[in-house]
Amino acid sequence: MGKLYLELIRIRFLTLLAYRVNYYSGIIIYAINIGAYYFLWGAIYGGQQQLGGLSVEQMTAYVAIAWMSRAFYFNNIDMEMAQEVREGKVAIEMIRPYNYLSVKTAQAFGEGIFRMLFFAAPGIFLISLFIPFQFPSTPEAWGMYLLSLMFAFVINTQLNLLTGLVTFFLFRNDGMMRAKRVVVDLLSGLVLPISFFPGWAQTLMGYLPFQAINYYPSVIFTGAIPASRAWQMIGFQAIWVAVILIPIFVLWRRAQTKLVVQGG
Amino acid sequence: MGEIKHVLGIFATYLGQYFKTRLAYRTDFFGELVSNLINELINLVFIVVVFQHVPLLNDWTRDEIIFIYGFFLIPYALFSMFFGFWDFNERYIIRGEMDRVLTRPLHNLAQVCLESIAPDRIFGVITGLIIMGYAAIQLDLSFTWYDPFLFVGLVVSGMLIYGGVYTAIAAISFFSDSRTGISPMIWNIQQYGRYPVDVYNKVIRFVLTYVLPFAFVGVYPAAYFLRKETWYAYAAFTPVVGIVFFSIGLVVWNWGVRKYSGAGS
Amino acid sequence: MIQVNHLQKEFRIHQARAGLGGAFRDLFSREYKTVKAVDDLSFSVEEGEMFALIGENGAGKSTTIKMLTGILNPSGGEIVINGFVPQKQREDYVRSIGVVFGQRSQLWWDLSPLESFRLLKSVYKVEEHEGQRWLDRLIEELDIGSFVSQPVRKLSLGQRMRCEVAAALIHKPRLLFLDEPTVGLDVLVKQKIREFLRNLNDTEHMTILLTTHDVTDIEALCKRVLVMDKGKLIFDGLLENLKEKWGNGTEVAFQFKKRTSAEELRTVLGELPCEIIRENDFALRVKVSRSQEMLPFVLSTVMASFDISDVKIMEASTEDIVRNIYSTDSEVVSHG
Repeated sequence: MGKLYLELIRIRFLTLLAYRVNYYSGIIIYAINIGAYYFLWGAIYGGQQQLGGLSVEQMTAYVAIAWMSRAFYFNNIDMEMAQEVREGKVAIEMIRPYNYLSVKTAQAFGEGIFRMLFFAAPGIFLISLFIPFQFPSTPEAWGMYLLSLMFAFVINTQLNLLTGLVTFFLFRNDGMMRAKRVVVDLLSGLVLPISFFPGWAQTLMGYLPFQAINYYPSVIFTGAIPASRAWQMIGFQAIWVAVILIPIFVLWRRAQTKLVVQGG
Repeated sequence: MGEIKHVLGIFATYLGQYFKTRLAYRTDFFGELVSNLINELINLVFIVVVFQHVPLLNDWTRDEIIFIYGFFLIPYALFSMFFGFWDFNERYIIRGEMDRVLTRPLHNLAQVCLESIAPDRIFGVITGLIIMGYAAIQLDLSFTWYDPFLFVGLVVSGMLIYGGVYTAIAAISFFSDSRTGISPMIWNIQQYGRYPVDVYNKVIRFVLTYVLPFAFVGVYPAAYFLRKETWYAYAAFTPVVGIVFFSIGLVVWNWGVRKYSGAGS
Repeated sequence: MIQVNHLQKEFRIHQARAGLGGAFRDLFSREYKTVKAVDDLSFSVEEGEMFALIGENGAGKSTTIKMLTGILNPSGGEIVINGFVPQKQREDYVRSIGVVFGQRSQLWWDLSPLESFRLLKSVYKVEEHEGQRWLDRLIEELDIGSFVSQPVRKLSLGQRMRCEVAAALIHKPRLLFLDEPTVGLDVLVKQKIREFLRNLNDTEHMTILLTTHDVTDIEALCKRVLVMDKGKLIFDGLLENLKEKWGNGTEVAFQFKKRTSAEELRTVLGELPCEIIRENDFALRVKVSRSQEMLPFVLSTVMASFDISDVKIMEASTEDIVRNIYSTDSEVVSHG
């Protein structure tokens, strides 16, 4: 069984490598975005040393690493699922001897690994040449970041599975999936570190899983918080992973029944 | 004259088709509307939150930035209404619908635009007007009788700039037979130009003025209404830039179509 | 009507390297192979002809159709159709043709075919009154009236295909291309479409070209057949001649009343160039190449010399012939 998923990851990896223009355009997008936000934040800071608990240097690192983390956790499996449902391919997936959702997750993981190795790693290296950039200094800090990034991937993928599963019932929900993407970008802390938001908003966001997707790993990377707080964040991530599993499970059950009863 | 009437007739028919299609999926229709609105508001949130921490952004006040953003939304909404083929690569090249387009007697770009027209984006214009109006009141801006005409001209030019750049980027698909990742590119580049260009460094400012002239979609024309005289010359150039870049887009597109017909498979 | 001279089409095909390392190297530099998809193709077609282009997958059929419809430009040679050069005067040219791609829809998926027809009418500037009469006729003859106002996604493949044909004909083109029009359709629908096409050809004198895998299509519709193989035209002529050239000849199966051996039969037939196949003690088959005089001779000689209980004459079917054509040349493995 494990071998199957390894193979799925590998195939997705190879598929992405085959799309050359896609690769180059991806690099350009990430470079532009990081560059633009870097300067924008530079202007925002102006002469100030510290905003929202982050220094200019930490902010720079935050912007860069937030985009790089996104390269890893971001995927479009909800859109893919929607397409498979619409084209009726999902019925075929059902008769295969594997779990559809795990397959989707494996594919997303292959995609994430690809982007991390081929966009993020060279990208972060390039950026560190141009803008002052601090890497975590201890292996422990690196370990915490990678662990937290892994959880971020799982949570984001879970959310995608959820919106993808909704397609089984709504048939068309492109609008919702797109809205979700934008909301995740904002509430996960990609465009704005969570610590910038007013207090009431921060409290509210504490009850939502989104900041576990980007803010936690990115802020751990910048070293702006003590290790104890970092471990606490990772703990929250683990809890979210478990919590989101429940609605996925329920929806998946119902989606299967629906497929069996109504034939998609 | 007859030709124009013909094109307008086709446009009306396509528009009709669009609404019939959309009404078939009402939940998704509203989902799209909400998603567009959220998308527009999220950037507003960014501006508002940032200005809670700083009073000025390179000498620009919060309301000025909001005004620029509101202005930017209008040409952008028109652009996404008429150039809605964000899945061009997937739909026309990989799934091969371009072949069908080429067997029809109408310019192929016009067909692609019409087939993917998205009239619901008109709501973006309304959102933009509201945001702009709010900022204008806060800033106590005054307008002359000819400002509305200039406004329309600048908005249309802005749309042409996006349209030209996007058409040229979409035409990359003609040169590659596989996925090109163009739609995320569009998704991402749309946002530049809605902040004052002087926050960026020289290189980016140059790029946003001459290479991918998105500054002409937002900050330059908006600066005219904000009476920032330093930028008047740029604002005046907006229509020229619009025409030039749309022509470039068209040339690249036609080149791509020739290439597509030459290679193909 | 159609003039094709020394048509050529070459493609550069990206050769993917194997494995992960190979895929990675492909990101930066690629290897290409040039393939001749269409090689020196010449033929001409008169107005009102109905003919088929057949060949294996990868023989160059689709490429040829794409060049004829103006989608692809030839790398050499020339095409003149209806007095137009397709790749040079595309927009004017396409007004005079209709195209049905069997695998691809030209109908709006979420709307009824009627809506798509309306749109196409305005695209082709179809005259309102005349156009409506023609459309009514199409709807009636294709028998699509009962479902033409349902959304396309709710139609069966056969229903959809008939609507596709109507959509391609909305502007009454002089030339109709059908690329694999009957793939996956059931026999009844196939028959309906064929009947319709034949009628169209008779009454409107419309020129019709189809590519197909289905030999029964050709038998039902076309007198003339073009066979392509590896980009080359290997046959251009009447269906009968195709049978003569590639058919295995005719077989006559005799059922004898008494035990008869192949040798006995051979003595009777003498030096006649034929093949005798023994089925069992009472049944023999004689295989002669297709020729007018030999068959009567064999029949009369055998009937006169033996007591025969039954005779069956078996002619090679077009399907056998096509299989024959493909297999004779398949030593060289084709790319596909």
